[in-house]
Amino acid sequence: MEHPRERSGLTRRRLLRRAAGSAVGLSAAGFLAGCENTTEPIGNAGGPTGAAAKLVVQKPTGPGGLPLPRPDNAVTWAITPENRPIPDGRPAEKGPLNLYNYADYIDPITIKKFSKLFNTSVSVATYNSADEAIAKLASGAVGFDVIVGLTGSNIVNLIAQSLLQPLNHSYLPNLAKNIWPELQDPFYDRGSRYTVPYVVWMDGIGWRNDHIKTDIAAMDVPWDIFWHSQPYRGRVGVLDDKRDALSMPMQRDAMHAGVRPDLNTEDAALIDKAEQELAELNGICNVKVTITDYQTLPEAKTVLHHSWSGDLLSAAFYYLPKGVKPDVLSFWGPDQNGVVQNDFLCIGRSSKNPVLAHQFLNFMLDEQNAYANFVNFVGYTPPQNAIDAEALIRRGLIPRTLTQAVVRPDQFASNQELLQLSIEGERLWDNAWSKFKAG
Amino acid sequence: MAAPGALWLGVFFLVSFYAVIAVAFGNEDLLSQPVPFWNPLDWNVGYVLDVLRNFWHGGQFLTVTLRTFKFVAIALGLSLLVGYPVAYFAARHSGRWKGLVLLALIVPFWINYLMRMLAWINLLAPNGWGTRVLHDVGIERLFIWLGLLGNPGGWLDGQSSAVIIAFVYGYIPFLILPLFAALDRIDQRQIEAARDLGASPASAFLRVTLPLSVPGILAGCVLIALPMFGDYYTPDLVSASTQTNLIGNQIDEFTRQGSEKVTGAVLTLLLALALLVLMFYYLRTTRRASEVHSGG
Repeated sequence: MEHPRERSGLTRRRLLRRAAGSAVGLSAAGFLAGCENTTEPIGNAGGPTGAAAKLVVQKPTGPGGLPLPRPDNAVTWAITPENRPIPDGRPAEKGPLNLYNYADYIDPITIKKFSKLFNTSVSVATYNSADEAIAKLASGAVGFDVIVGLTGSNIVNLIAQSLLQPLNHSYLPNLAKNIWPELQDPFYDRGSRYTVPYVVWMDGIGWRNDHIKTDIAAMDVPWDIFWHSQPYRGRVGVLDDKRDALSMPMQRDAMHAGVRPDLNTEDAALIDKAEQELAELNGICNVKVTITDYQTLPEAKTVLHHSWSGDLLSAAFYYLPKGVKPDVLSFWGPDQNGVVQNDFLCIGRSSKNPVLAHQFLNFMLDEQNAYANFVNFVGYTPPQNAIDAEALIRRGLIPRTLTQAVVRPDQFASNQELLQLSIEGERLWDNAWSKFKAG
Repeated sequence: MAAPGALWLGVFFLVSFYAVIAVAFGNEDLLSQPVPFWNPLDWNVGYVLDVLRNFWHGGQFLTVTLRTFKFVAIALGLSLLVGYPVAYFAARHSGRWKGLVLLALIVPFWINYLMRMLAWINLLAPNGWGTRVLHDVGIERLFIWLGLLGNPGGWLDGQSSAVIIAFVYGYIPFLILPLFAALDRIDQRQIEAARDLGASPASAFLRVTLPLSVPGILAGCVLIALPMFGDYYTPDLVSASTQTNLIGNQIDEFTRQGSEKVTGAVLTLLLALALLVLMFYYLRTTRRASEVHSGG
């Protein structure tokens, strides 16, 4: 695998700079002739170089040569002397607590409950994408106390720019008490030194069982339904996310071959193949590329969709039109070799209320608070030991057809996360995605 | 006197446009964030050449650009077909109701564009009111016969026709208004003179009214074509199919969601250049028309 490398020597850019000092004037043609011509990013990715590089199997690295976490390459982020966790036993600050989150991704009633309990106020600012959030955090314009919703794919960027504060677990007893063991010690942040999990979800198939009579979950390779979806032309969708969507045909191929796919691959041939297979859906069903399935499936504007599990639960909780029963919705997600994701809560490096921020994290890890936030608002499952599909079915919250939309710990362990790639890897996926979306 | 205008142009166009140029001729860092090169001496043409190569080899950027031109051309044609008679009627035949007719045309457009599109999504849903009306009056059958609609009630199934119709609906008032102004300005006596000299009503329209309304037609077309070229949310809302992906969607993908914001800036720049060519053509034509008009 190639690494972005530092440009060295006298580049044309430097030559030009020197020339500009002495030259009185340059024609436009002269400018262009002397312009740099590179798509090599600026910076040093580090890693072993020269002869030493040949002695190891290269793992993908991110900014500053930091390792990109993988399940087989778990990372423990160091705690540095200039950025240490807060001491034990401090009283909470008065606040207000500054929360940075996606829009509508935490229940206002849960926030109100926290404010009342800790006699403080919470101010929420929102972002639209992880990129935007990281850029704003890095600019240092606003000191957020708690950041909600970033994932393992973002952690390298967060650590590389020193945007997070390490956690003091003495304030977080609910982590060990309530959370799935594998997420108490995730591979992207061994020992939960900087993050605690918020919710989990998986990629699967959501469909309207009153429109589609095939028992998709019983198919040998359920993903095949998309390639046999001619009867539902125009009402079939895939997720509008390059990694999720392109990894779907990869999963299908691997399921046919009975092997485990690498959904974080940087192999151009595999990515191109996935793009070509996904593009077949244009002819088969004029596939839509959306993330509004939580609305379109209940309204039957789409009847078959590549979906995030949490969207099907949200659909059942809040989006059913009058007269439509939740049991018309079905979800299937693979037990293994598919995509699972989780996001996390973390504390900003420049937090002015670090104790209060810890208390907020612990509050959100509480079983009752997490449950209320899940079923009353967010629809995405918190990785709490006490929350499972059977409990939700017993309480009449979801129909049995959505059992699989509640991710199980064993499922979480046997599937894989979509993680940050090297710059070259990202570009390969970006380019394939752009090609697919162009139709 | 020109100072406020110059300030406006400087702040809201020149500076921001130069920022796009600096990003397009810049690079990115290892966090995939764009690094603008402000000094032209430092410019990096790597990303520009990459995009041009994609066009040259018939890649996805060429596909979406050609599709965008096709959609905009058809939408412009349809808008003129609908908008011209409306503006003509409002300007020449609505008498003392002129103001009211104009108001009636404009009122629906006081509602935000996105809200109107979202309303259409519900109207055109398989069991929506709009779908039922289109079915009952036979338009649905006509569209299926013309091959513009896949199946009954399938307006939102990712149809090119739905995107084009949405463009027409969304932007048409901005065509009607300048057209109305141009038609309203035509001196009635010129048309009467044509009739006196033996021209039939049709001939008077074709030889007097239509040529005199050309500046209005061009102004209206430019006004609605420019936002249509950069539109990405209309195809997203009413179709979301890859078959209706336009250049605006690709720019959105690269700048907002992808990791290659520099490529997004290059596409923006190329689109702006293409539109500048159209804009110059418009300015030249209108200047010539006004010279002919004042000269004659």
